[in-house]
Amino acid sequence: MLKGRSLLRRNFAFFKLAIVSQLEYRLNFFVDAVMQPLLGTGVEVLLWLGIFQTSGPTFGGFSMQDYLAYVIWSPFISRITSTWLYEYKMIAEIDNGSINGLLVRPMSFFEYYLSQFLGYKFFTTSVSLVIPVGFILYFRLPTDFSRLPIVLVSIFYFLILVQMMSFTIATFAFYLNKVYSLTAAKNFLLWFLTGELLPLDIVPEPYRSWIIGLPFCNAVYLPVGYLTGRLSKEIFLRGFITTTYGILFFAVAGIILWKQGLKKYVGTGA
Amino acid sequence: MIEILARYGRIYGAFFKTSLVSDLEFRANMTIRLIVDFLWYSGQVLMFETLFRHTDHLGTWNLAQVRVFMGLLFVADGLYMLFFSINMDSFSENIRLGQIDFLLVKPINSQFMVSFKKADTSKLGNLLMAVAWMIWSLSKLGDWNANRLFWLIILIPSGLVSLYAFRFFFVTLAIFFTNSANVQYIWYQFYHLGMKPDSIYRPWIRVALFVIAPVSLMANVPARALMDPFNPGLYLASVLVAAFFLYLSHRFWNFALKFHSSASS
Amino acid sequence: MIAIETKGASRVYKSYTKQQGFRGSVRGFFRRSYVEKTALHPTDLQIHSGQIVGLVGANGAGKTTLLKLLSGLISPTHGKVLALGFNPFDRKKEYLQQMSLLLGQKNQLWWDISSRDSFALLAEIYSLDRSLTEKKIAEITQALDCESVLDTQLRRLSLGERMKMEIVGSLLHSPKLLLLDEPTIGLDIVAQTQIRNFLLNYVKDMKPTIILTSHYMDDIAQLADQLLLMSKGRIVYNGSVSKFTNATKKQKLVGFSFPEPLKGPQKILNVNLAQGQQIFEVEISELELPQFLSRLTLLPGIANLTISAANFEDEIRDFMQNESAKV
Repeated sequence: MLKGRSLLRRNFAFFKLAIVSQLEYRLNFFVDAVMQPLLGTGVEVLLWLGIFQTSGPTFGGFSMQDYLAYVIWSPFISRITSTWLYEYKMIAEIDNGSINGLLVRPMSFFEYYLSQFLGYKFFTTSVSLVIPVGFILYFRLPTDFSRLPIVLVSIFYFLILVQMMSFTIATFAFYLNKVYSLTAAKNFLLWFLTGELLPLDIVPEPYRSWIIGLPFCNAVYLPVGYLTGRLSKEIFLRGFITTTYGILFFAVAGIILWKQGLKKYVGTGA
Repeated sequence: MIEILARYGRIYGAFFKTSLVSDLEFRANMTIRLIVDFLWYSGQVLMFETLFRHTDHLGTWNLAQVRVFMGLLFVADGLYMLFFSINMDSFSENIRLGQIDFLLVKPINSQFMVSFKKADTSKLGNLLMAVAWMIWSLSKLGDWNANRLFWLIILIPSGLVSLYAFRFFFVTLAIFFTNSANVQYIWYQFYHLGMKPDSIYRPWIRVALFVIAPVSLMANVPARALMDPFNPGLYLASVLVAAFFLYLSHRFWNFALKFHSSASS
Repeated sequence: MIAIETKGASRVYKSYTKQQGFRGSVRGFFRRSYVEKTALHPTDLQIHSGQIVGLVGANGAGKTTLLKLLSGLISPTHGKVLALGFNPFDRKKEYLQQMSLLLGQKNQLWWDISSRDSFALLAEIYSLDRSLTEKKIAEITQALDCESVLDTQLRRLSLGERMKMEIVGSLLHSPKLLLLDEPTIGLDIVAQTQIRNFLLNYVKDMKPTIILTSHYMDDIAQLADQLLLMSKGRIVYNGSVSKFTNATKKQKLVGFSFPEPLKGPQKILNVNLAQGQQIFEVEISELELPQFLSRLTLLPGIANLTISAANFEDEIRDFMQNESAKV
């Protein structure tokens, strides 16, 4: 029992570490938590306003209001569920050997980064949540705010999968040098599969069904669709199951690769 | 003058060669990077192809024209990634780790050094893909005047120069704010705006993307030169804008260096 | 009690060799050739607990490899390693909780936060009692004279201050086994001496087993009970520091001066005294010393005669040169 408590306390300390490090660079934090979501949303809104200007009142069966609600929520949520920073950090630790300093401590590399990642996401999300909410209220766009809590829960559940994927990718650094581009490869692939690039509704069948069967649409399409009333509760809740499958899959892959990798790991000089 | 240019040309040649040698070292990385960029290009293509399933034109262009636009975008992007992007991306980290002083003690123009130190030679593959796509899209365009291609000789470089100068402004900010990794993201947002046919935007935005945040010069202006009515004023303005931003970036860099030397102990 | 034991432990690294030049790179892109390098030949070693072991050797001699094997960062290619009764590579919590690895050339504390915050984090990682840890931090920082910068972010500290903080961090959980890789590298004399004195006192109180590598022989000569000398992946000497000095050809340092610069060159035995120089310091082997002195004292006006042991660093160098000559 004592073990469980010290595990929690330690991970809470990592959680806080991420927040403290964020606040260390104020401008950076402001840009990350406020400017980026603001600009990201602005760009999407501009783009879709432009598309509707040339296409008429509906597009693929949805109105302009529907699309605006979608493109206001989707950059916000996709920013939560995509990761560059911590994945790069993990890769860098392995790549330049600073992981040595972590391996000799009585903790796991995985928990250390998971808790920091969640701390970072929790903090920036709570600050930047005002942006989509503000936009939605100002433009009076369709959003069911009573669904927001469960949506946030599903997003943070999905973050565990995100971190599992990052961990799996980072383990490749044991085998290959400079695997940073794998992060980009994964993120671009997710860019299609999550529904960030395009609302999955306008993707032609059967591709749409295939993509929705995968866990990745929990990153954008399902939460945004449920929040804006495009999707039913059943479809949304099914997302928890696919996320769980994803977590299990990457947990197994990550652990195997990690164990093998550590054995192979030569450790860079000094 | 010519001597100086020749010297810098030789220096750049050396930079390029070392980059190529070190890129070949990490072959897995290089292969993955090619795949990544292929995915990215496919993303852009898929997005427009999907949009065109629900509409027959975006702004003033139809699907065939937007494909050509994308071809120009890919070429510009490929060149930008090949020469500049990698240097711009690494600069703010170098600042954070306090490595700028090493750059400044070299007997070469510091802006040149910072901007060109490395070439991302894996992007040569991108250029190949981009050119292939462009040739294909032009072949599908139907009626257009091949003489117009001549304008690209000036317009692509000027688009590239203004893109570089604008980005370099953001990079320079790193000198003032030690950790500016996220500030760079603002730049990407502008870049994204430049990746769409600008005729979908309202007029004031279109103007802003030309003279304030000059991102539409990279693909929109060349695409207009190929497909829209002849407009020499636009081409001239592009060159002027590029020169002006290049000059500004240089001034701002020197200002930042002065700030750096007075602020550090 | 034995704290560390290795039985035939060895480590081989495999690396890709790059062919020369641009063409070589292109060829290497498609076809790679690998070389194996033995960083540590099969090694048998026993270290008793409470010992301070100085690990010395040139770059690439295998010091870091040995430390990494002991800290569980790498596994031995062959053979066995046992530290505090554990196989380090299992990285059991119980083992990690009792040992500490300090790498002088790397930061282990967190770059962007203050040392005090870093220590609080370490206290959680090692499940330490908070108030006891605070007390310990106060004690150690005072002893190392760095308590004034506890609340400053690590990245704003000088190299010496940073190193002191790293040392504090590595001792918070009172490790029984302390692996120190170049703890004084790049530091000025004042900081070096402070760290050395601190470690001397710390050892008296806590009696941990310490393995210490250093480029500064003063560190080893003053701190270590036992000396391990490594060369080309082998331990070439394992014994007390004083025995080592006996084993090497003993050199003495003789200092003297003349009332005015020498008018012409002089030669005593095989030592040349250059023209125009007034103050001398020469090395001479113990065997030749009496003869040298008797000749020297014949010179007119000789003064300020001193005789001292040549420094440890030179002895190691000589020892290593003899060793490499043998191979």
